[in-house]
Amino acid sequence: MGRSRVHLWFIGPAIILMMGLLILPVFVAAVLSFTDYNLGNPSFNWIGVENYDRLVSRSTYKKMFTASLTYVLLVVPISVALGLGAALLIASLRIGGELYKAVFFLPVMATLLAMAIVWEFALHPIVGVVNDILRSGCDVGWLHALLSGSWLGGDPLQSWYGHACAEDFPLWLGDKNYALGTIAFIGIWQGFGFNMVLYLAGLTSVPRELYQAAHMDGADSAWERFRLVTWPMLGPTNVFVVTISSIRSFQVFDTVEALTRGGPSKSTYVMVYAMFEKGVKQNLLGIGSAITIVFLGFVLILTLIQVYFVNRRVHYA
Amino acid sequence: MMARTNWLGEFLKHSVLLAGAIVVLLPFYLMLSYSLKSPAEIESNTGGFVGSQEIMTDRRCIKAGKPAEECDMRPIVYNYTAAFSEAPLVRYMLNGVFVTVSIFVIQVLVALPCAYALSKLKFWGRDVVFGLVIFCLLIPVHAIALPLYIMLAKVGLTNTYAALIIPWTISVFGIFLMRQFFMTVPDDLIDAARMDGMSEFAIVWRVMLPTAIPALLAFGIFSVVAHWNDYYWPRVVITGNRDLMTPPLGLRMFKSDLDGNEYGPMMAATTVIVLPLVIIFLLAQRRFIEGITMTGMK
Repeated sequence: MGRSRVHLWFIGPAIILMMGLLILPVFVAAVLSFTDYNLGNPSFNWIGVENYDRLVSRSTYKKMFTASLTYVLLVVPISVALGLGAALLIASLRIGGELYKAVFFLPVMATLLAMAIVWEFALHPIVGVVNDILRSGCDVGWLHALLSGSWLGGDPLQSWYGHACAEDFPLWLGDKNYALGTIAFIGIWQGFGFNMVLYLAGLTSVPRELYQAAHMDGADSAWERFRLVTWPMLGPTNVFVVTISSIRSFQVFDTVEALTRGGPSKSTYVMVYAMFEKGVKQNLLGIGSAITIVFLGFVLILTLIQVYFVNRRVHYA
Repeated sequence: MMARTNWLGEFLKHSVLLAGAIVVLLPFYLMLSYSLKSPAEIESNTGGFVGSQEIMTDRRCIKAGKPAEECDMRPIVYNYTAAFSEAPLVRYMLNGVFVTVSIFVIQVLVALPCAYALSKLKFWGRDVVFGLVIFCLLIPVHAIALPLYIMLAKVGLTNTYAALIIPWTISVFGIFLMRQFFMTVPDDLIDAARMDGMSEFAIVWRVMLPTAIPALLAFGIFSVVAHWNDYYWPRVVITGNRDLMTPPLGLRMFKSDLDGNEYGPMMAATTVIVLPLVIIFLLAQRRFIEGITMTGMK
């Protein structure tokens, strides 16, 4: 066997698998999105853009886009901010930093589906600890005054907490006004430790001399140091963290499938769950494929935005 | 120039981080605590962390017609025995190990030679192949789950181990990571091996593989964590056949089987499934955090 051919044995399997398992499925989805195909039916009809038409006109799919986008807009900013905040605090600690780092990273490692089930118990409206803790605060005079705002002279019933004390605390996952926020909370709980670790890595690459230089220039407060040195130097990390968080949160599925199944009244009907429900459970592969293609489009746009920001930075650096 | 230790600032930072840590650890605490306590204690939120561990009667055991004295047990024993008897937990765990290990081994078998060729061999079309790898990095496998599912269903592979493994056999990210790593390996090492008469295959597995251990370890952590925890893909391709279920899917079935009051056994099962990774993580924390961040691209 000559050396000239041997590379084919090395790259061959990878190329075949890439073509068959990554490129081909995209084409399959693209083609099927123009049909009414379903498994068990030997033939199918070309129905043009009808599936896409449904995606933009039916209220179910409007709710789907709203749920997905709201989820992303809730999870990304909060989990990025918490990740950055935790990283800055931990990096500036004298002792104990490693311990907090391990604790905050724990949810990233733990099986999300399992932890989602635990959160469901914790958030149970009647026996769950979350409402139990909140309720116990109602009987403590000063705490109730503080949280309901009545210490400022406001009407306690007007505030969220005071009102909840009088009526009852939310059903969380069972209430259409709270369900998506609750799912997003679990997403933030799970993901911010990952962002924290990326930011900690980014912080170690900020040259010490820059802080000294800033000090010479009279930037003494922590905020000035952050604004003038840390934040600009974290530019590439920011782009990376935001893109990864967005792509990851677009893919939310486990918590939705296990806890709400898209409900109540489609308030948590996110795209990947819709893809699963339409395509796999209801065997509506045409519409499922159309959702797949739109979803891939979103991911592509996010990646292109990332590439744009990374390149722009290189230009000005 | 060294600033005085700002004790107030230090105290405030610890307070904020501690508050965060409590929220982060809450579900882990509850999971362990519920897995130890009796149903009554769980529902009334009493008994502290371990509960009173008073002897309780297993109603299922009575129903099964066993003598009453055999059915009296401590809540902790009840929860964990029920977890293992009500669901084939051991089977789920073995499935999880089999699937994650198979995926990792095949990923390495495919990615390592490809990465070697892309970094150290010169051949026509190399840049095109590398371009293909970069392009494929853009495609999240979860997003194309539906067409993959259709293709597997067409060849009759749903509800098999193969269905759980096949889509993950190619890790373009693994190829990318290994290639970047191999670029830093000096060419002299490979030339020397060729002088000694080693074949290209031998070079890949006997020279490159040992040098790539650090990168492989990071990739391995990433791959195993991702696939042990993956719920979406098993949920799509395994429908009903419990013998094939991986831990998260098994847990989900366990949850929908229960009538809702069996928090104890449910949490015992959850603990058993979550604990292995958490323990390994706590033992090799630094490596895990490095591995996951290094490979954080997913």
